[in-house]
Amino acid sequence: MLGFSHNFLSNFLFWVTRKRWLIFTFVISLLLFYIPSPTTLTPEGHRTLIIVVIALILIIGEVIPLPAVAILILILEVIFGIDTPNGVAESFMSDAVFFIMGSLMLAVAIVSQGLDKRLALGIIRMTGNKTWRIVFGFVAISAILSSFIGEHTVAAMMLPVALTLVRNTSEDKAVVHTLAKLLLFSIAYGCAMGSIGTPSGGGRNVIMIGYISEFGLGNISYLKWIKYAYPMLILEIPLAVIILWFTFRPEQTILDSAVRKLKIDVTKTGKMTGNQILAIAIFIAVFFGWVFLSPVLGLGIVALIGVFLYLSFGLIEWKDINRNTNWGVIILFGAAISLGIQMKETGAAEWVANLAITGLGSVVQNVDVLHWFISVFLTGVLTNLLSNAATVAVLGPIILDMGGNPIILGISASIASAFAYLTIVASPTCMIIHSSGLVKSNDYLKAGWKLFIMSMAVLFLVSNLYWPLLS
Amino acid sequence: MKFLIAIGSKEYSEPTLRLGMRVAKAFNAAVTIVYVGEKISAFSTSGVHLAQENLENWELDRQGVDVLAWAFKYLADNGYLSTESEGEGFNIGKLVQTDEDRCEVFLEGNHTQEVGLILRNGDIIQQLRDEVNKRAFDITIIGASKKRSMAHDLIQYIDSSIFVVKNYQPDGQYKMLLAVNDAPNTRKAVKYGVRVAQAFDLYTTAVTVSSTTDFRENCKKASAWADKFLRRSGIENEIRLEHGRFMEIISTIAGDNHIIVMGSSTKSPLAKFFTGSKPLKVMKHCKCPVLIVKE
Repeated sequence: MLGFSHNFLSNFLFWVTRKRWLIFTFVISLLLFYIPSPTTLTPEGHRTLIIVVIALILIIGEVIPLPAVAILILILEVIFGIDTPNGVAESFMSDAVFFIMGSLMLAVAIVSQGLDKRLALGIIRMTGNKTWRIVFGFVAISAILSSFIGEHTVAAMMLPVALTLVRNTSEDKAVVHTLAKLLLFSIAYGCAMGSIGTPSGGGRNVIMIGYISEFGLGNISYLKWIKYAYPMLILEIPLAVIILWFTFRPEQTILDSAVRKLKIDVTKTGKMTGNQILAIAIFIAVFFGWVFLSPVLGLGIVALIGVFLYLSFGLIEWKDINRNTNWGVIILFGAAISLGIQMKETGAAEWVANLAITGLGSVVQNVDVLHWFISVFLTGVLTNLLSNAATVAVLGPIILDMGGNPIILGISASIASAFAYLTIVASPTCMIIHSSGLVKSNDYLKAGWKLFIMSMAVLFLVSNLYWPLLS
Repeated sequence: MKFLIAIGSKEYSEPTLRLGMRVAKAFNAAVTIVYVGEKISAFSTSGVHLAQENLENWELDRQGVDVLAWAFKYLADNGYLSTESEGEGFNIGKLVQTDEDRCEVFLEGNHTQEVGLILRNGDIIQQLRDEVNKRAFDITIIGASKKRSMAHDLIQYIDSSIFVVKNYQPDGQYKMLLAVNDAPNTRKAVKYGVRVAQAFDLYTTAVTVSSTTDFRENCKKASAWADKFLRRSGIENEIRLEHGRFMEIISTIAGDNHIIVMGSSTKSPLAKFFTGSKPLKVMKHCKCPVLIVKE
């Protein structure tokens, strides 16, 4: 047909069906480009919003590699005349990107030390063999650890502990399927809740701190963030345990033999090695660096100092870091932050913020509650479709331009980006537990919607009753 | 010949593996068994790989390894592996990572030169297409899917013959239904059908369908050729010339106790994409295994 071979047509159709979102994006962007700019929006702002739409569709659809999306954002910022090439390059690299890069590298270094067996022993010693206590231990330890070292690191360390307990209970999947879900979701949701605790819990916290500082709205130190966010984390732990327990109530209320077998396995590893002690010491030093030195050095540089020390002391090899670091994600977050800054500078963020306030003004009358609701709900929904850091990078400038208290709205949005409970793609921790093959996509909704509502309610109470006391 | 058998789980893939291996044995074909795990979000690849490496330290298997281990056991128990391969057992250490989303192990087979086990991650059609293109498989064997677009995508995009093992009852008494017309693929379909019928000792019905009572001369010739070929091959058969709607006739005759063998459509890919094809309709609507033979 038309002179093309069947093979060519078949390949072409396959490309079209697999890349339909790319074609859709191209058509939508052309339409948006030729629509006249609204009178209240600058032409640069209009074009910035077109890039936002393109980026969101391509990221959610995952039709082209993430680094390609990042490169496209940077190219379009220059071609659309939004900024000069040097201006785009400057907005691309920031301390937040250094931090994301450093924390991903730290994750590889920490996981490779084999500390997970000690962690398992510690949890089991604390909790004993009752299932509900083990679940509490999993949620609490995952949450506390991920508040400092990044959620996917903790999930990677905790996953084998949970799977070993499941395997030790029974090899028959039908017997242990509810127990497996309970333990795995304890890890995933514990990590998600914990990632709000400190700025180093997640790249998006650092992105938000960076925006607040860059836009001249205030400075949030490491300790100040902890004062705001940690009480919420503590409140959420028991509530999450209750929700998970009643959603995935297992037949096994005591894991006596499974725990005993795990103890035997773990104690075989012997005493802590010098390298493991050094690895912990370096991480503690990094933590103190974040607390005391970040106002001067920045969170990213402190994280990179940690990476430098791990490499210099031979605790990790560069090839391992290189293999296990997601460079594409780092480039994408850099581009997303650049786009966020352009949204602020071109007035696009303010225009969208006003549009949202006008649109939802008829639904929620109280202005402060309206600002809060838009910030939290939009972020919470988008984070379940997109990466949480990308969500904050794109929505951050809009939220900070809505009016009201930018610190409260900014931290609220950053915390809401951790409500990634509803889908597999919501966060790496959700994907990690899914890769075990023991949880299905509809399991995320079973417990996720309850946790989503609980987290929204707790955040509302904490931000309205506790945070005003801090300022 | 090379066969690719796609399996999904221990619970549901047993009929696919059982029938697939029997057909492969009939063709004396090299077999590769592939498990395709779900696609990993691009944001999570490094986290998932980190977790998988950590699982290995705990001697825990990543998703899919248990399914391959089960497939290995099935092959060993049913005499498809050489004594040497069987004796070595399924060793996860022999799975070689060939690229980011693919690892493989090759074993020595009894009836064929080799049996490969492959673990892949990603979109199933993309992964099967890559595998077929890379190693030039002749037939891809897969279980039926509830996903509506699966049948369409298999026929449209996989560049090999497709055998969909639908509603296969291992203890059932099957016959063969050969759909014969004057299309160039029919001869190859009949030859494939004969191999299967000989291996399973199936009574065969060769059906030629015309929408009117007048049969084209070429169709009559094709039917006569099929009859002659089947008889020469020692297959007990009957020849039927039916008029009416193709799908209704084929699904009525096939019921749930036939293995249907037919040639792929000769329509252009664009026409198939927009208007579908007879093999696609058969694959969607019939309640029995279907082999679509491509040129």
